[in-house]
Amino acid sequence: MFKKIFPFSAICGQEQLKLALILNVINPGIGGVLIRGEKGTAKSTAVRALAALLPGIAVVRNCPYNCDPNRPQYLCSRCRKGRIEVTHRPVQVVTLPLNATEDRVTGGIDFSRAVRKGTRVAEPGLLAKAHRGILYVDEVNLLDDHVVDIILDSAASGRNVIEREGISLSHASRFVLVGTMNPEEGELRPQLLDRFGLCVEVKAIANKEDRVLLMERREAYDASPQDFIMRFDAENKRIAEQIVRARHTLKTIHVPKHLRSLACQLAIENNVAGHRADLIIEQAARALAALKERHEVTVDDVLEVAPLVLCHRRRDAAPPPPPSSEEHDQDHETPPENNQEETHEQHEHPHEEQAEERDSTGIQTDGEAPPEEGEGEESNNQEKREGRREKPLEQVFPVGETFKVRKFTAPKDRLFRRGSGRRSRTRSARNQGRYVKSTSSRNTGDVALDATIRAAAPYQSRRRNENGLAVVIRPGDVREKIRERRIGNFLLFLVDASGSMGARGRMVASKGAIMSLLLDAYQKRDRIAMVSFRGDKAVVNLPPTSSIELAARYLSEMPVGGKTPLSAGLARSYEVLRGYLMRDPTARPIVLIVTDGRSNVALGEKNPREEALELAGRMAMDERVRFIVVDIESPGLIRFGLARKLAIALDAQYFRIEDLKADTLLNVAKENIR
Amino acid sequence: MSRTAIYPFVAIVGQEKMKLALILNIINPTLSGVLIRGEKGTAKSTAVRALADILPAIKVVRDCPFQLFPGEAGNVCRECPRALCREAIINREQVETIMRPIRVVELPVGATEDRVVGTMDLEQALKKGEKHLEPGLLAAAHRGILYVDEVNLLDDHVVDVLLDSAAMGTNTIEREGVSFSHPASFTLVGTMNPEEGELRPQLLDRFGLCVTIEGINDPEARVSIMERRLAFDEDPEGFCRNWEEESGQLVERIEKARDLYPKVLVDRKLLYEIASYCLDVGVDGHRGDIVILKAAKTLAAFEGRAHVVKSDIDKAAELALPHRIRRQPLQDVVMDIGKLRRQKRAIPGS
Repeated sequence: MFKKIFPFSAICGQEQLKLALILNVINPGIGGVLIRGEKGTAKSTAVRALAALLPGIAVVRNCPYNCDPNRPQYLCSRCRKGRIEVTHRPVQVVTLPLNATEDRVTGGIDFSRAVRKGTRVAEPGLLAKAHRGILYVDEVNLLDDHVVDIILDSAASGRNVIEREGISLSHASRFVLVGTMNPEEGELRPQLLDRFGLCVEVKAIANKEDRVLLMERREAYDASPQDFIMRFDAENKRIAEQIVRARHTLKTIHVPKHLRSLACQLAIENNVAGHRADLIIEQAARALAALKERHEVTVDDVLEVAPLVLCHRRRDAAPPPPPSSEEHDQDHETPPENNQEETHEQHEHPHEEQAEERDSTGIQTDGEAPPEEGEGEESNNQEKREGRREKPLEQVFPVGETFKVRKFTAPKDRLFRRGSGRRSRTRSARNQGRYVKSTSSRNTGDVALDATIRAAAPYQSRRRNENGLAVVIRPGDVREKIRERRIGNFLLFLVDASGSMGARGRMVASKGAIMSLLLDAYQKRDRIAMVSFRGDKAVVNLPPTSSIELAARYLSEMPVGGKTPLSAGLARSYEVLRGYLMRDPTARPIVLIVTDGRSNVALGEKNPREEALELAGRMAMDERVRFIVVDIESPGLIRFGLARKLAIALDAQYFRIEDLKADTLLNVAKENIR
Repeated sequence: MSRTAIYPFVAIVGQEKMKLALILNIINPTLSGVLIRGEKGTAKSTAVRALADILPAIKVVRDCPFQLFPGEAGNVCRECPRALCREAIINREQVETIMRPIRVVELPVGATEDRVVGTMDLEQALKKGEKHLEPGLLAAAHRGILYVDEVNLLDDHVVDVLLDSAAMGTNTIEREGVSFSHPASFTLVGTMNPEEGELRPQLLDRFGLCVTIEGINDPEARVSIMERRLAFDEDPEGFCRNWEEESGQLVERIEKARDLYPKVLVDRKLLYEIASYCLDVGVDGHRGDIVILKAAKTLAAFEGRAHVVKSDIDKAAELALPHRIRRQPLQDVVMDIGKLRRQKRAIPGS
């Protein structure tokens, strides 16, 4: 048996998930559900189970587009002409596999028919199949971006438009879109997030009783699916009837005016962008009222659905509250830092000049010992003091707080989107990667067989074949594959490990920042390398590798101390880059320079700073390489702004650690709104 | 069937945990696979290839490209590229079946996506103008073992496809003009060397069990490894013959356990034990609970018992949880589950 489905009513817990799915089935106007959550929490099981219990729908017999005989205005062109025979069949769950190509999603030419009869007939794609059903996309965050775009487009417009291979057609395509994703694998783009009506966060059940019940049910199901399904049949039927009734009454549900304004207020309070949230709250509340067999929406309905609607749209307007004091010593500094920064920003230039004077008189950067250090950990503190007594002594600082890592997910995203455009995927020139669509311009020799045949198909009845093959292909028919793959982005971390980094716990903070970036690299599966510089030279700590674990280990063990040979660091990283680009000319490396820019050791005879800037200018010539400068100069009375100069010379993006941290662009709330 | 001699499974020295995990998966295919983590040269691949000798036989339609049990999925057969049994199914005739051992299908690291999921059959398309599927490796692996060497080096999009099929037990193809879906439930066996980078948590979770193996440090065992290897290299057939009896015993035991498995009972109290185990160490989702339960039952069956005892659960947890424990992405995989649990319990409130 190939189709056995775990009964919906037998799913333990996950009430929110079940509710969200049912609401969508009652009122497709809600616009789908996004299920975010850990693995192994009955995400796909629930979706499949729900479809299985839904009552069948009336369709036109043999209509490939699942036309609804009761809505003549939406019939496809074929059904309009012919006589309509009505038949019933169950609601379909159409699964969009990750390997789907564009032609199958939208539909294309029917190749067999074209060859045999020489007619251009459209072959419906998945969007046609999903009409009036459920389109289920597992791991929606891993799907190709343009496939997601196509789907969301038709989800929003309710129509699918095919314009390809000489076929021009549009058909109705209304479906409940259900996507699942595991946030560990990377986030969804904000605009896609917003398209999903509801969002549910699923977690494993913490209750022991329920866990046991779950295991028992699962075992019973595996042992004898048939009996198990029978056991829950009555309950399933009850739910199905409830849904049918609710669907029926939905149109008559009344929404009082004050509740509309409540919905708006909720949206405003949560800093939601756009108006979709308000509308969806209303739709969802109506569906809920219908489910509860009431005629009017109540406050409770609105409040019950609001978390589902707002949880993925919510943004933080105010800067995040300062982290709790137990986390780490620097946190005490954070709020005042922000204030100071703004005031000092305006006076940057005068300070800079002063600063340079000061520096040239040879005052060691280490001299500015922070008073805050008293708050640090005991052992850490001692280390630092020793470090100050004997300047060249090496120190190893702990990696910054892990809380930053969490906070980082969103801002990092922004950083790279700005930094490199399409960090995750790109068209691939070589014959590697995922085949996404075809083109008629030829140069690679990577023939897309299916597209070629489809292109040749309509002419087959006219072309006579000499060699007994059914299909005759002319050079003009040949189509080639366009492949996409994740561009093996290569991140080179150039880390300043000089003594000046030791002060004020800066190294701790920057290690935290680097670690966060590493975590991001892990999610995006980049290759990385690490170069650090201190004393009088730069060393390659980590040659290009994909083992982020290794990088993390090196990072935590990285010692700090000595002078700042920035030019050496730049030169060494350029060598690494050049080697990497030689092997993989299509790579688009990103260099992350974590420094305060106070170069004081030169390679040659020149002024160390000028030399570094000059070198930077030359490195910026290579257009394949992007640079990002993370300035870790701590905001105090004196700002040198040297890292900014370096950023300008490199034509790089410039960030301070705080910029990376406190970003409010997208903050998917983990908790329900209060 | 002529074939080159395979190093016998029973002749592998040590690595008991790995052998146990593999055997459990043969007894109970719903355990959904093993991930073997370890250094190079620790008999990972040898063990998986050796499995072929101790695998039980299954009934399949002769030459079926999808390895189907007769009548398993009629809708697949109706669109089957093999005309012979397509006609037979449509006309409701008997199809010829054979008994053959479960297959081990190897997925090479360089495999392309179209070979894995299947693609349009070029020959049929050009010669007859018909659109047919050329089944891929997932079709070949149905009801068998899909072995992925160096699974952590696999191309990302191939991994995604694997995940998809492993999760659903179905391979759905919507590409290159082909729209098809066929059953593909397989036992996923992967090996990896953690030094080369970790696996994504999502894929990790799909492996039912996980074992980490190390080189053996006992000099005596090392010597016997060398001796056996030499003996095998010199005279493979003779070596296999020497181990035939022991192999036979294992096969028998596995078959008995397969029969016994559905009858194994679990005390309700022990289910609580499983649940608290997972809660104590902190795992994502519920797959951990379910796998422990299944593994414990299988263990009991393997030992010829019809009820699960506590030690089964401890053993099962050691196999089922290491890769499921919630951790920071860059943390190492914890291996000693029992110890971790004691630690976590010692700190109240965590």
